[in-house]
Amino acid sequence: MNEFKFMRAATLADAAAAFEKADDARYLAGGQTLLPVMKQGLAVPSDVISLARIGELAGIAVSKERIDIGAMTRHADVAAHKEIRALLPALSVLAGGIGDPHVRNRGTIGGSLANNDPAADYPAAVLGLGATIVTDERTIAAEHYFQGLFATALEPGELITRVEFPVPRRAGYVKFPHPASRYALVGVMVSDGPHGIRVAVTGAGAGVFRVPAMEQALAKSFTPEAIADIPIADADLTSDRHGSAAYRAHLVGVLARRAVTLAASPAMHGHRS
Amino acid sequence: MNAPASFGKSQVRVEDQRFLKGQGRYIDDVNLPGQGYGAFVRSPHAHARVLSIDTSAAATMPGVLLIVTGAEWATQKFGPLPCRSPSKVNRDGTPFKDPARQCLVHDVARYVGEPVALVVAATAAAARSAADAVLVDYETLASVTDRGRAMAAGSAQLWPEAPQNLCLDFEQGKRADVESAMASAKHVIRLDLENNRLTAVPMEPRGAIADFDRATGQYTLWNSSQNIHANRDLMAAMLRIPKDKLHHLAPDIGGGFGGKNSVYAEPIVLLYAAGKLAHPVKWVADRTEAFLTDTHGRDQHSNVALALDDTGKFLALHVHSIGNVGAACGTMGPFTPTGGSARTQGGPYAIPAILYSAQAVFTNTVQTDPYRGAGRPEAVFHIERVIEFAARKLGIDPVELRRRNLIQPEQMPYTSGIGLAIDCGNFPAVMDRVIAMSDRPGYAARVTASAAKGLRRGFAVTPYLECSGGAPQEEAQLKFTSDGIVLLAVGTHSTGMGHETALAQIVGDRLGIDLHRIHFRQGDTAATKIGGGHGGSRGIELGGCAALKAADMVIDKARTIAAHALNSRADDIAFGKGKLTDSKTGQSMTIDGVIAAAGDQSRLPAGMSVGALDSTAVFDREMFTVPNGAHACEVEVDPETGVIRVVDFWAVDDFGSVINPMLADGQVMGGIVQGLGQALLEEVVYDSDSGQALTTSLLEYALPRADHVPRMKIEFYEGAPTKRNPLGAKGAGEAGCCGASPVIVNAVLDALNDYGVTHIDMPLTSEKVWRAISAGGKA
Amino acid sequence: MAELTLTVNGNPVRSDCAPGTLLSGFLRETLHLTGTHVGCDTSQCGACTVIVDGRSIKSCTMLAHEADGASVTTIEGIANADGTLHPVQQAFRTHHALQCGFCTPGMVMASVALLARQPEPTDADVRHGLEGNMCRCTGYQNIVDAVLASAKSMKGVQA
Repeated sequence: MNEFKFMRAATLADAAAAFEKADDARYLAGGQTLLPVMKQGLAVPSDVISLARIGELAGIAVSKERIDIGAMTRHADVAAHKEIRALLPALSVLAGGIGDPHVRNRGTIGGSLANNDPAADYPAAVLGLGATIVTDERTIAAEHYFQGLFATALEPGELITRVEFPVPRRAGYVKFPHPASRYALVGVMVSDGPHGIRVAVTGAGAGVFRVPAMEQALAKSFTPEAIADIPIADADLTSDRHGSAAYRAHLVGVLARRAVTLAASPAMHGHRS
Repeated sequence: MNAPASFGKSQVRVEDQRFLKGQGRYIDDVNLPGQGYGAFVRSPHAHARVLSIDTSAAATMPGVLLIVTGAEWATQKFGPLPCRSPSKVNRDGTPFKDPARQCLVHDVARYVGEPVALVVAATAAAARSAADAVLVDYETLASVTDRGRAMAAGSAQLWPEAPQNLCLDFEQGKRADVESAMASAKHVIRLDLENNRLTAVPMEPRGAIADFDRATGQYTLWNSSQNIHANRDLMAAMLRIPKDKLHHLAPDIGGGFGGKNSVYAEPIVLLYAAGKLAHPVKWVADRTEAFLTDTHGRDQHSNVALALDDTGKFLALHVHSIGNVGAACGTMGPFTPTGGSARTQGGPYAIPAILYSAQAVFTNTVQTDPYRGAGRPEAVFHIERVIEFAARKLGIDPVELRRRNLIQPEQMPYTSGIGLAIDCGNFPAVMDRVIAMSDRPGYAARVTASAAKGLRRGFAVTPYLECSGGAPQEEAQLKFTSDGIVLLAVGTHSTGMGHETALAQIVGDRLGIDLHRIHFRQGDTAATKIGGGHGGSRGIELGGCAALKAADMVIDKARTIAAHALNSRADDIAFGKGKLTDSKTGQSMTIDGVIAAAGDQSRLPAGMSVGALDSTAVFDREMFTVPNGAHACEVEVDPETGVIRVVDFWAVDDFGSVINPMLADGQVMGGIVQGLGQALLEEVVYDSDSGQALTTSLLEYALPRADHVPRMKIEFYEGAPTKRNPLGAKGAGEAGCCGASPVIVNAVLDALNDYGVTHIDMPLTSEKVWRAISAGGKA
Repeated sequence: MAELTLTVNGNPVRSDCAPGTLLSGFLRETLHLTGTHVGCDTSQCGACTVIVDGRSIKSCTMLAHEADGASVTTIEGIANADGTLHPVQQAFRTHHALQCGFCTPGMVMASVALLARQPEPTDADVRHGLEGNMCRCTGYQNIVDAVLASAKSMKGVQA
């Protein structure tokens, strides 16, 4: 790894000031993406600013309508959180399926969203549940946040502080893991909540996207059959050795139907029927 | 104190104690005072001419000690990396092509990752930075990575002396008989098969540390190699140094599976660098280097034709393969796809006429060399896939078709259609047993239960037959110390198989000594004179028999010493359970008493001196053994996504006598899961246009994980021990992956039978399965 | 170089290391705790798994400086004071859950963490829980059995 200056920010203001001062700073959240990229020499920052000790980024707050998750919350903590499991099990399932247990013990929701890997799971949750990204400067709606391959609405130095998930009536997430990396070859979040019915897909394209035709069909009938015949255009989908665009398009359909079944299943949402 | 006999019993391993405490010593844990660190400059191109190398910037970077380029290497006129293929004659009698491959590229780089220069620096990071700063000017050339295209007109040519990139045009078997049987047979079933390119991926990457003592001219090489003696000889010859001036030794090895067998370029260049610097130089591969430069395995395409009569009797088998040997010959060169794949053609079936022909071709890929099985898994795959395919085509139950054709126990000894001398085995009993284990009566209910979940269930049973291999000679030494410890040194090499325990069991059992008093040494050219290392499932068969022979030499001498002590004659001394007894007087002496006497000149008979019990034995294998068995499995396939889950797996293996069933179980299970990896997940891929390697990390190359694997049930058939060696052991290391790939593929195709799917090439990825179902057009 | 203070296997450690030092490198090279192995560069294989403040992490994907103030446990730190093996180590031995031993330290540490999280796992729980650790030798079955057996043997002991 290259040489760099390392500092631990104690407050958001600290972090922002350090970022401002540096030539080419990177924030370090859980490091599960940044460190591998730095090891390969694909990122060569002059300064690395650790966010681990910033109290403002920690914590989970749950109300009946909303779940707020601090940006430095580890995936394992989201997965294991009892109230989240009760209110929004699809989110627990999603967080509990990222990487592996050791990665989940380090990786954070803020880090994942700031990186916006096209095969990451959290983007599907944020867009598929209509969450709001809160930064040290503003709030950003999910629809405006994701801007394609590793691109987001964040300005240089802007930090995600928390993510606010509205609690939907029902939701389901199904992931088809890449056989080697275990990122999402395709992942689909389906939800029926305050922002209407949403179907968000990760892994299949250059970034997370919604499927309006499925959303409209599910609005009429929230059943897997309702979306059985909706074709997914594969023109813009990713094609690689592990899944052609056509296969990914097919999987979007299968996983969406399974996500609807999960969302509608009393086992997942018995408490909110 | 006599130890209870441990032979044939599960015995927890001696070596585990250090491994479990983090006290194993692997290559990256070995450090020598004053060591520098090596980093290699590697070709980023599949095929490119090196026009110039500019090391000026790198040479002035901090900490840089030495840079060795291909140009400098060429001036040394060292020998090329050697090829020791037993198959080396074309079918027209001309010799095969073995182009000279140098350790560092001087003129043309022929695969991505081929070493071009070595940089040595004070730290690993400095070496890496400087290596990245070496500027190499390349002229890129057209490349070919695909074995199918390598011989085509207009394809890139790797070596001028090898037209059409042909390395070896091989043939073995009865061509005339096969052709006439094919011409007149009622049925000839033909099937084309891919054997996907794999890499061994031992969890520990390769590495080495070389040292040189200027005063004595002695080289020392610590190397993560599983073939210490043979590679010492080859490397010393290349570097033109006497072999006793190269001390080659291996620390604990973190897995090998064949991938650490070959002579590699890197350690040799490190030796040269250490010689120049007169201090140690260390290099350990990162995982990307491992993917690019560890030898790969398999990579064959085969046309299989099986002739049957109207009753389903097999009449003849012809398999023609094209095998990819990579950019030049590896240590075993074209052997694996040619002679290595020929040996066990036809498996355990009575097939009168067999012909195996193969062309081994050069491509712009890293060398292929033996990977667990080295040709035998390929041969099992050929016969077992074509039988399954034939059974479905002819409407015969696949198990029944196999049963009709298995070699019967009363036919033993039997020389197979390809010429393999099979001495013993009961193939029908082994297959029947695995079928009995697999609960066929309950199968229909399981199919229904799977269907209720929307899944298709499939079953297959696959007998397999392989043969042991590797170097045919082995040495074992026993030395007795004054503190009661017995030192056992062998030339075989465990890379995890547990020889430290199993060989000690053999010796301890024979001598009646607790195995914990037996201290084990391997992987050191200073410990034994000869050594065949690891490969061909030879560890117990050769190392075990050599150890047994050494123990018997000890007993012989012990009888003389006991006779002297007891005023008796050696001929009257009987040995058993650690005790030497005069059969006439009933007087006795323990083996420990004899060991003590052997350390005291005053208690030894004339002609014997202190240390007389120490013994060195060399065991020669006369004939390969023939391990065999049958595997069965059930799979569930999700027809919507194409996802396969292996849900049950049964194996019955005939390894002859089993020394330590727990260790043998471990060998079988590990092999099965590597076979599962080949069947479902693993594949090394090169981009066919650019020649770039696409699988360069574990993010791209899918290895089996714990949740890919079903619970495996394993039994051993011990009714047919071989008489080809005194232990009756047949070799266990490679069997698992021989049976697993075909049985899993066959079970998946059974599950997809209703869809009209009759063949899918490995690895059976979910997309391939989904496409096959879609194309099958039936539901 | 910057200073770093932490506890490793119960012992206080104060050391200087470059900011770019990974925890795996710090353990292996600075502290000579070579039981933690590095088997890949991409955070996949899990051979480098150690426990930091009670959680299993991949030490090749954590800066040493991020462990400042933390308590780190490695394979060298889990046997009993008298040198006898931890129940998980013992179960690995009894069940032949290791062959070459290279993945073993990470596998044992992952198993210890798994059992702390899930004291009574099922076979499937163990397989899922070990998805971050690769073994090329054993085929995993004996590892799963070892973890299940240690769950039983530890029941009540660490409750």
